[in-house]
Amino acid sequence: MQTIANETKKLIAKYKKIKNFKDVLWGLLFASPVIIGVAVFTFYPALESLYYSFTDYDMFNEPSFRQFDNYVVMFTLDPDFWVVWKNTLLYAGISIPLNLLLGFFLAQAANFKVKGITVYRTLFYLPVIIPSVASGILFADMFLVGPSGIFNNILEAIHLPALTWFSDERTSLATFIFMNVWNVGGGMIIWLSCFKNIPVTLYEAAELDGANAWHKLVSITIPMSTPIIFYNLITGIIGSLQVNSSLIVGGVDGRGVGDSLYFVAIKIYNEAFGGSYNMGYACAYAWVMFLFIALLTFIVFKKSKWVFYGEEG
Amino acid sequence: MDNVGLKNSSGKKFVNARVHNVLVKTAQYLVLTVVAVFLAFPFFLLVMRSFMSQIDIDAARIIPTKFTLDNYKKIFAENNYFLYIFNTLKVVGFNMIVVPLSASLCAYSFARLNWKGRELVFSCVLATIMIPGTVLQIPLYSLFNDFHWLGNLKSLTIPAMFGGGAINIFLLRQFLRGIPKELDEAATIDGANIFKRYLLLIPLCSPIIVYIMVGTFSSGWSDFFGPLVYLSGSKENYTLAVVIYKDSLSGELASASLKMAAGAFMAFFPAVLFILYQRKLVDGIMVGAVKG
Repeated sequence: MQTIANETKKLIAKYKKIKNFKDVLWGLLFASPVIIGVAVFTFYPALESLYYSFTDYDMFNEPSFRQFDNYVVMFTLDPDFWVVWKNTLLYAGISIPLNLLLGFFLAQAANFKVKGITVYRTLFYLPVIIPSVASGILFADMFLVGPSGIFNNILEAIHLPALTWFSDERTSLATFIFMNVWNVGGGMIIWLSCFKNIPVTLYEAAELDGANAWHKLVSITIPMSTPIIFYNLITGIIGSLQVNSSLIVGGVDGRGVGDSLYFVAIKIYNEAFGGSYNMGYACAYAWVMFLFIALLTFIVFKKSKWVFYGEEG
Repeated sequence: MDNVGLKNSSGKKFVNARVHNVLVKTAQYLVLTVVAVFLAFPFFLLVMRSFMSQIDIDAARIIPTKFTLDNYKKIFAENNYFLYIFNTLKVVGFNMIVVPLSASLCAYSFARLNWKGRELVFSCVLATIMIPGTVLQIPLYSLFNDFHWLGNLKSLTIPAMFGGGAINIFLLRQFLRGIPKELDEAATIDGANIFKRYLLLIPLCSPIIVYIMVGTFSSGWSDFFGPLVYLSGSKENYTLAVVIYKDSLSGELASASLKMAAGAFMAFFPAVLFILYQRKLVDGIMVGAVKG
């Protein structure tokens, strides 16, 4: 009896082993597209880019190792370095909170309980759908300074002074940020989804306790929205530090008047693909950007005690 | 008497409340309309100016004095935009099929197959979301150069076959996990093999698959930076986004009305798609936003 039981146990163990092996095989087979894809098109290029950043590489000759030369040049000699980072940080620092705030107000409006509200929501979101090239050439044209510039004509029609928009280095970054206001529908959708998930009972209970609109906003809506604020902060950091749409409105090299729209991603593009093929140097820039994004996201994650994930979290 | 007074005051209150209500509603409509006009104005202008002659453009008109189709005729007849539309459609059409297919295979593995190392692999896939595209573009350029994909639409399509994007896999996996497991178990008892079970579940994911397809269309249709880098130099393979950008820089589209016609034409397709699917799309975006 004992031996038979043992034999059975062994057989079961063997069967389990084979089954586990088969399971892993099937699992890997089904997941193989993404495993190959992530390895070939993400992780390998990311490491390769780190390697290039320590080399002199022009696409045609083999990369030659130069230790930290690229980084030393970038931080000490390259006058563009501070310009592009100043512009990028200014842009990110203003546009992330601005979009969060405007998205919140727009979502409040899009949440009015009136007839036809879905039509308004569609209109609010429509500008987000417009391809960036189409909206880029459109805004570049509307902000023209001169007799054919639409925005200045409108300003003059309502007796306001004409503005310099993209034509002056002091106003072009502000104009660029203003242009992004039209994408506020993206933020609105995220806020709306968040409002939808706040239980109505919370507001009803607060009303019974005599809370006014301000109390409800501060002690229910905002605390319950912290995961969305957190999500927006993370995606905002990753997205806005890589901003490159000034290529379309910032003139031939995307730098804007007096380098006022010269962002880190534009610098990388110009170094790598602007004709000089400084691939190694561009990779060094890209890695500094990557590390900065990683650091910022890490800090936001670390300081995320204010994020409220519901009772069980 | 008392009774009448009560009736009166409550009636007044009712009227007051109604007046108040009407006032609030009017204010709300006013706010909504002002914001809608502000947000929609540039795109109204885009369409209007695409039908203008040069005289109206120079006069900075908002509505053309005379509608003309000349701009559209010109971009198709002289700038050969049919070719670029065809290129864009090739990329977008191919990706709309392979992205959901590839993503659903992977998501099925992560949601339904129990295998050692599954969670680890899935976290690695999700981690790629944090890697900025800017870091990858140069090594990918060099890789595509080795594969002879530069200047070729393959650089925009073949990578899409491999997983179809971490976010899409994530969305599909979440959706699959919401389908009761009993369904697969019953199918297994009926003798369905792994492929049959996969094929059984996929139609049930159609809402999220439609969302992924629409998303693939609109991101592929408007993708500007990828084609700009990887197609550079071979104009015959340009997509709409790149050719409009290059042509408006080079002066091929010299007049504002030509640029507007090209832009309006390009914006037309995603806008129509959005309006057709807006209900589903907005819900889908919401799902994506909350789950993401």
